[in-house]
Amino acid sequence: MGLIRSELMKIRTTNVWWLFGIGILIFTGMALTLWLFFGNDQIHQMQNAANFTPPTGENIPPEEIERMRREAAFLADKDRVLHLVASNIYTSGQFFGVMFVALLGAILFTNENFHQTATATFLTTPQRVKVIVAKFATAIIAAAFFWVLTTAINAAAGAIFFNAKGYDAQLTQWPVTRAILMNGLAYGLWAVLGVGLGVLIRNQIGTVVTLAVTYIIGTQAVQLVFTLIHEFWIKKDWVMDAMVGWPSVASQVMVSPEEAYPGSPKWWVGALVLIGYGLVFGVFGTLVTRTRDIS
Amino acid sequence: MSDDGRIVVSGLTKQYRKVRAVDDLSFTVQSGRVTGFLGPNGAGKTTTLRMILNLVTPTAGKATIGGVHYSQLAQPLRHVGAILEASSAHKGRTGRNHLRIICAAAGFPLKRADEALELVGLTPAAKRKFRGYSLGMRQRLGIAAALLGDPKVLILDEPANGLDPEGIRWMRDLLKALAQQGRTILVSSHLLSEMELLADDVIIIANGKLVKQGTMKAVINGLSTTERVRVRTPQAQELVKALGSEVSVETDDDVLLVTGASAPEVGAAALRAGVELHELVAEKPDLEHVFLELTAGKAGIR
Repeated sequence: MGLIRSELMKIRTTNVWWLFGIGILIFTGMALTLWLFFGNDQIHQMQNAANFTPPTGENIPPEEIERMRREAAFLADKDRVLHLVASNIYTSGQFFGVMFVALLGAILFTNENFHQTATATFLTTPQRVKVIVAKFATAIIAAAFFWVLTTAINAAAGAIFFNAKGYDAQLTQWPVTRAILMNGLAYGLWAVLGVGLGVLIRNQIGTVVTLAVTYIIGTQAVQLVFTLIHEFWIKKDWVMDAMVGWPSVASQVMVSPEEAYPGSPKWWVGALVLIGYGLVFGVFGTLVTRTRDIS
Repeated sequence: MSDDGRIVVSGLTKQYRKVRAVDDLSFTVQSGRVTGFLGPNGAGKTTTLRMILNLVTPTAGKATIGGVHYSQLAQPLRHVGAILEASSAHKGRTGRNHLRIICAAAGFPLKRADEALELVGLTPAAKRKFRGYSLGMRQRLGIAAALLGDPKVLILDEPANGLDPEGIRWMRDLLKALAQQGRTILVSSHLLSEMELLADDVIIIANGKLVKQGTMKAVINGLSTTERVRVRTPQAQELVKALGSEVSVETDDDVLLVTGASAPEVGAAALRAGVELHELVAEKPDLEHVFLELTAGKAGIR
């Protein structure tokens, strides 16, 4: 417990926590605004589609009218629309929030090398595994904090929004609750993955760059590569399944209520992949750190 | 003070890729004394100290403090305090918070941080960020960290590095006071005159190997250099004649360096010959002489 307290103090006593906090709040605010506009638009469409009346006229073939009716029914599906809008609003800021939390986790360890505090830390606690475990726990606590914070902001804004639109806040609807919980899981798992990567790479800048690139650019690049392989080389479904092996894709698979991409595996596969990365990085990094020379 | 503070190093070896930094090194540091740990640059002092503290993993051999390995100490900071090079604090953190973080991890009450700051005279700068600390203040913060657990053993790597004369004097007084309280102090340094004032025992290493260990007195007197007498006189030639042919004399301006006769003998000879003396000193070997003699040709880059 003392170690976790010490690690939390390490975060709190530097600029890091409020810089990251402001970063997360800004991105959450921006995303929230976007999703509110999107939601407004969707609900507007839903209301219009509910009043769909088939156009009358001789030159429209009946199949075309049937198609329009089906599309209107889809747009007017109240549960679907409200769940989608609510899920998006209540998980606003996830993309960058998760990245910030992962970076925070990563620098928990790399900071010790960067600022040469590893000596003091390991003199105080020579059992290095304990220190690393405390860092994992601390990263999860920080992730939980930021998840609760952003969710509270989103929930407040969302409740006002739905109230103004004349709907229930949707918070108790399972698909919405699930999205909020998955959001928390994403925060936690990426924090763990960040710590693991930091322990493994050690170098502050190397870790931060690796993580940010993997997270931001990686997803699109990987999707492009796998789609191309699937289209032109190995036309098997497992190719698209295998894409989940990339952490940021796994993350999307996990948080998406529907298929993250055509042919994507179930959400829990994504969760397992993320847990796997965190464990492998963490365990391997811990083994290396146990006998590594600190100087 | 019991045996608690004894540091025993046996067969300690550290092989880096191409360099054997420490080579089968064995020595014992007695409790309740100040032991100087000396050696030329690159002799392996820092590596040895870091191996004692479980920061560097030895290739072979082991080091114990009070009979146990550092990592097996239940509360390491209560037993051992250390100041090492390449140890620092986060630039954006205040000195006080740096210490409070260590307190939290070690399970000490946080107010120990303030007491330790008081002890090293850093209270006025307690809430200033480490970035703004001078070298001397950083060194003081390091000592404060080492003293947090009121340890019986202190291990210091070049603590005087970068300190101004006042800082060095402060450090000397502090270490002496701590030693008088019965603590074991192992301090590495290359400030030999400083060491001679401070240390009871010395360990000299070169090329990762033990060169000499013993009490300061024994090490200095144990050297076989013959005593020299330094004489300054305006009548150099008369004095040389008076000393006779059994002694050898080197001349350096109006200074004669006489070997083969003691200071009283030289004085008596001068009196008999009626030679005027301005200075007559028996040159005692000092730690610097001993050190340079013992480590000659072993220093430098490996």
